[in-house]
Amino acid sequence: MVAENSTPHLHSAVEPKQTFRRALDMAARAAMPSLFIMFSAILLSAPFGIPGQAQLQFGIAMCTVWFWAYSRPRSMPALAVFLCGLVVEIFSFGPPGTVLLSLLVIYGVSHHWRYGLSRLGFIAGWLIFSILAVLASFFQWALVCLHAVALLSPVPGLFQAALTIGIYPSLTALFVWGRRTFANPDQA
Amino acid sequence: MLSIHARQVLAKAVLPILILLAVGLVLLGLVRRPAVDGVRLMATDFMAPAYHGLVWPQERAKVWLTDLRGATDLAKENARLREENRALRHWYDVAVALAAENGRLKKSLHWIPETVPQYVTGRVTRDDGGPYSRAVLLDVGSGHDVRIGDVALDAAGLLGRVTEVGPHTVRVLMINDDASRIPVTLATSHGDAIMAGDDTASPRLIFYPQDHHPVEGERVETRGQSTMPAGLPVGTVHYSAPNRPVVVPDADLDRLDIVRVFDYGDDDSQAPDAPGRVRVKKLPQNPMTGPLPFSWLPNFPNMPGRGEQ
Repeated sequence: MVAENSTPHLHSAVEPKQTFRRALDMAARAAMPSLFIMFSAILLSAPFGIPGQAQLQFGIAMCTVWFWAYSRPRSMPALAVFLCGLVVEIFSFGPPGTVLLSLLVIYGVSHHWRYGLSRLGFIAGWLIFSILAVLASFFQWALVCLHAVALLSPVPGLFQAALTIGIYPSLTALFVWGRRTFANPDQA
Repeated sequence: MLSIHARQVLAKAVLPILILLAVGLVLLGLVRRPAVDGVRLMATDFMAPAYHGLVWPQERAKVWLTDLRGATDLAKENARLREENRALRHWYDVAVALAAENGRLKKSLHWIPETVPQYVTGRVTRDDGGPYSRAVLLDVGSGHDVRIGDVALDAAGLLGRVTEVGPHTVRVLMINDDASRIPVTLATSHGDAIMAGDDTASPRLIFYPQDHHPVEGERVETRGQSTMPAGLPVGTVHYSAPNRPVVVPDADLDRLDIVRVFDYGDDDSQAPDAPGRVRVKKLPQNPMTGPLPFSWLPNFPNMPGRGEQ
C-alpha cells in the first residue's frame, strides 16, 4: 500500500487506547470526503443565482471521488460513492442517474489503477481525469439529447467538463492538506 | 462469519452491482421521468427553509451594497438633480410665457372657450335582454344627468354611445354592434369615413374617399358632428383583407369594467336654419287617434281599436 499508510511514524508499538471518542473521531475523519460531496451538493442547490452552480456540483463530486479513491480508498468506499451520487442526483436537475453512473465509473477507474496513479505525477493524473470528465459530460449530453429527441447544443456539457477540469488542481491542494490533517483517521 | 475468499468475491461484486443500479436509475429516468422529478421536488421542498436561511445573507448583502452604492452616488445624483431642476425651471418659465401669450392671442381673436364636459362613471353590467347584440348596461346610480347620445369612453378610447336612459342605468351601444355608425376622421390621410360595426371585434370603415384610402396603422379619431365631439381616440386602421379597412379599437371591448359617460353639452351646437330649407313635417305622436277613413260605411268601426258591432 503506497498511499494508505502515509503516516508511518504513527504505526509504532505504542498505539493510542481505542476509546469510543477516538472511534467516533476516526469515523468522522474517514467520512470527511463523502460529507464534503454531500454538503457541497446541498449548498450548491440553494438558489444563489451563481452561474455554473449545477456544473460545480458535478465537478466537486468528480474531483473528490477521483482523488480519494486512489489516495485513500478506505475513506471513499464504493457504497459511500453510491450514497454521495444519490444525494447529488436528488439535489440536481439533470438527467437522472448520469452523475451517479459517472461517479461510479470514475471510482472504478481510479480505484483499479490506484497504485499506478499514486506513482504518476500530478499532471499525468490530471490529464487522465480530464479525459474521464469530458467523457462523463459527453455521456450526460447524449442522454439529454436522447430524452429531448433532438440534437441540443453541446456547449453546457463542454462548460461542465472545463469547470470540472479547472477546479481539480485547487481541490487537489485542499485534499492533499486534508489527507495529512483533518481527514486523516490515523491522527485521531 | 464469511470466509476470506467469500469476502473478497463480495468486495469485487459490490461495484458492478452498484453500477447496475445506476444504469437502472438512468433507465428509470428515461422511462419514468416524473417519478424521479417528484422525489427531487420533495427534497427541495424539505430543504426550502434551509435554502431561505442560506440565501438570506446574500440578499442582505445585496441590499447593503445597493444602499452603499446609493450613498456614494449621492453627490453625483445631487448634482444631476440640480442641473435637471435648473432645466425644468427654464421650461416652466417658457410654459408660463407661452400660456400667457396663448391667452392673449385667444382674447384678441375672440376665441369662444370650449365647454368642459361633465361625466359620470359607472360599473358595467352585461346587457342580456336588450335590442342590440353588442351593448352594455351601465350602473350610474340615481340622480344622474346622462342623456341619449352621450359618449362612453373607457381608459383608452371610444366605447360607444348612450341609446337609452333609465332611472339608474343607461344602455350603451358599443361601436362594434351591427347598428352602430360613427363618423370618424383619419389622422394621417385626413379623410372622413364612417365606422360601421359588424358584430366582430373590429368595426369596418366605409364611405371613405376613394382617392384617399385609409393608411395601415394610422390613428382614427371621432369627427365632430352633432352630439359627437371631435378628436376622441377610437383606434388604428388595419387591413384585414385587401380593400377592407377595419378599425382596431383602443378600448378593450371584451373586458369592460369601469366606464365613463361624457356629456359634451351639445344643445347649442344645432346648425341654424338655412333659407329655403323645407322642414320635414313631424309625424303625429300617435297617428291612429283620429277617425278612420271610410267610417261612414256600414259595419266599419269609426275609431281605431276594438270597433262596436
